[in-house]
Amino acid sequence: MNKKSGSYSIERKQARWGLLFTIPCLVFFAVFSFYPIFNALITSFTNKQALSRTSKWIGLDNYIYIFTKENGGFSFWNSLRATIEFTLGTFIPMVVIALILAVFLMQLRSPKGAKFLQLVYYTPAVLSSVVAATIWMILFDPRGLINQMSNLLLNTTGKDFGWLVDNTMLQISTMIVYFWKYIGYFVILFITGLAAIPPTIYEAATVDGSSRWHTFWRITLPLLKPTAVLVSIMAMLQCLKTFSTQYMFAQNGAARQPIDVITMNIYFTGVRYGRLGRASAMSIILFIIMLLLTYLQFTVSKTDDVEY
Amino acid sequence: MKKAIAILLVLMMIAPVFAQGAQEKADQPVTIEFWTHEDANRMKLEDRYIEEFKQTHPNVTVNVTRQSAEKLIELIQTAFAAGQGPTMFNLSIEDEYPLIAAGRVAPISYEAVGYKNAQAVKDAYLSGVLDAVTVEDDVYGLPLELTNWSIFINKKVFRDAGLDPEKDYPKTWEDMVEVSKKLVIREGDILVRRGYDFRYGYYLVNNVPMVEQLGGQLISDDGKEAIVGEEAWVKFLTFMQNWGPNGENLGSPTYTAARKLFNKDNNDIGMCSTGMYQEARILNDNPKFYNSGEWMVVPYPRFKDAVKDVAGCYYGHFYMVNADADKATQKAAWELIGYMLSHGEEYLKNVGIIQPTTALMNSETYKNMPYSDVFTSDLEKGHIVYYGASSTEIQSMIKTAVEAVMLQGVDPKQAYLQLKASAQEILDEQK
Repeated sequence: MNKKSGSYSIERKQARWGLLFTIPCLVFFAVFSFYPIFNALITSFTNKQALSRTSKWIGLDNYIYIFTKENGGFSFWNSLRATIEFTLGTFIPMVVIALILAVFLMQLRSPKGAKFLQLVYYTPAVLSSVVAATIWMILFDPRGLINQMSNLLLNTTGKDFGWLVDNTMLQISTMIVYFWKYIGYFVILFITGLAAIPPTIYEAATVDGSSRWHTFWRITLPLLKPTAVLVSIMAMLQCLKTFSTQYMFAQNGAARQPIDVITMNIYFTGVRYGRLGRASAMSIILFIIMLLLTYLQFTVSKTDDVEY
Repeated sequence: MKKAIAILLVLMMIAPVFAQGAQEKADQPVTIEFWTHEDANRMKLEDRYIEEFKQTHPNVTVNVTRQSAEKLIELIQTAFAAGQGPTMFNLSIEDEYPLIAAGRVAPISYEAVGYKNAQAVKDAYLSGVLDAVTVEDDVYGLPLELTNWSIFINKKVFRDAGLDPEKDYPKTWEDMVEVSKKLVIREGDILVRRGYDFRYGYYLVNNVPMVEQLGGQLISDDGKEAIVGEEAWVKFLTFMQNWGPNGENLGSPTYTAARKLFNKDNNDIGMCSTGMYQEARILNDNPKFYNSGEWMVVPYPRFKDAVKDVAGCYYGHFYMVNADADKATQKAAWELIGYMLSHGEEYLKNVGIIQPTTALMNSETYKNMPYSDVFTSDLEKGHIVYYGASSTEIQSMIKTAVEAVMLQGVDPKQAYLQLKASAQEILDEQK
């Protein structure tokens, strides 16, 4: 009995310290995440304009508006389409290729070479998104490197592939920028997951005569499942929140409509046109979409703990 | 009696204390947050004015924040939305008007800027110039600049294409297409040199007048209908489609802005639309080109079948003061504005911007500015840019329509219908 109450006391003590250490984080989240979400939710039920000092409670009008009206030619449905296309076109290849690159780096015999390549892959992630988009705008220019390379590869002369003009090419351009910027980050996450798999398991597989291909499918991939789920959720959320690439492209002359992702529509509606109530309603919808997709991904992948 | 004398004595003793208090209040430290757009030539001048002003107002601190013109619009709107707007600032009128409409800016402190009253201010400026910033007899801003755009031409590019710039410059928009076709140099589909290109993004200033020449309107005279005149708008959109990469391939919003290339004289642009301030910028960026005399300015073109003789719109950047600033800060800000704007001739000579006082417009300095006659003539044929509570949004809609026809291959009629529906919705919301 005494022993039990003693362990209870230690647990309580530990819990108290744990709580103490999480307080700064909780305060941070409360101020910078929960409060803005709550505030956006309240604002979404009002007709608040950026410059007006007062606002009126209008119930669900903003939500009805964004699903039924054109919103000045930039409908929410178009933004939903642009966001889904961008997310699917970016996060699936990003997760798959990040995994392939991570496995490749882990297989490298030279640690120096692996470290160097990790650095090379990760460097774009350090760049500001605006700088990255600006660099790529120059590369995608009709006289830029990408168009010249495209001509070289396809054996054409002076063809403008319309990287910033054609609807599909424009979407692909934004995907390429995002892919380039974030692939290194997810490669590092996969490497961390791969490094956590005990080498004894691979040794046992080798002794049993398992081929590399078989080992990858039967051992690496199942044991990497928690990391893969984490990476795919993070990549998906990151893609759903994409903004600066599309914004920079639109600011520099590219058509807005094909790449008018939800965040960009929120920005234009709220900041440029001052319709904070309507923009808040869009934010809440995006928040719900992200929440649902994350839940769905967790449910589908059934993330049981992996034990070695 | 004795009592009255005693009270009087006490009052006499107390009065200087109150006076001193008032004096102290006047000398209290005041901080002015001044946000403005970047312009290297103007920065040199205004930094000097601010230093001079601070010498006569030692209690005033001025913090200047300079941003690109596009960025400044967002920063000011966001700052005001958060209740953290700058003390004084300037934007183009179409972006400033919503601040007046929302009561976020203060009327002029007339004495602080050196005028007796609102009428005296209006009398000092060209007729109608202050209409956009006048509400119920109070004036809410003073013009830092009033600008209209004409066409700048690089004569060398014309001659290189076998054209005589003095004779062959485009008088009509149809000429603009034909001349541009002769001036362009392509590598396959890729434009290496453009003849002319539009200032994409500034549709209210530069493109709406094209529609007006054809008999259309942005907003009807009674303010109830948006995008008036189907034929004119469809013709304009067809013209833009023909101009773009899917038509004659003479230019596109995705290329570097023509005005930015013009000063470099790198044989990559023949013509661009810009204001008198470009003259000072050419001098600053490329004195050799400025002094070579290889550039000239010609009027804004008309369509051949124009039904109205309209030139490009003019727009004003007005200095305004935040209504939320305390009275002492507002007064100090207006004093600073008044001091800066008392140097109209220097602004014109060094920066090339026009502060449209009657005195300046009739001065020899203005008349001696290169091509001032062209700008004046276009100014007389133009009108102020559309401004309203949703002017920014309506401009975005025109941008979408132009991009749709130029880049996405949308049929001009369809783009017009979409534009009309969107703009009408915004207009109806304002009622």
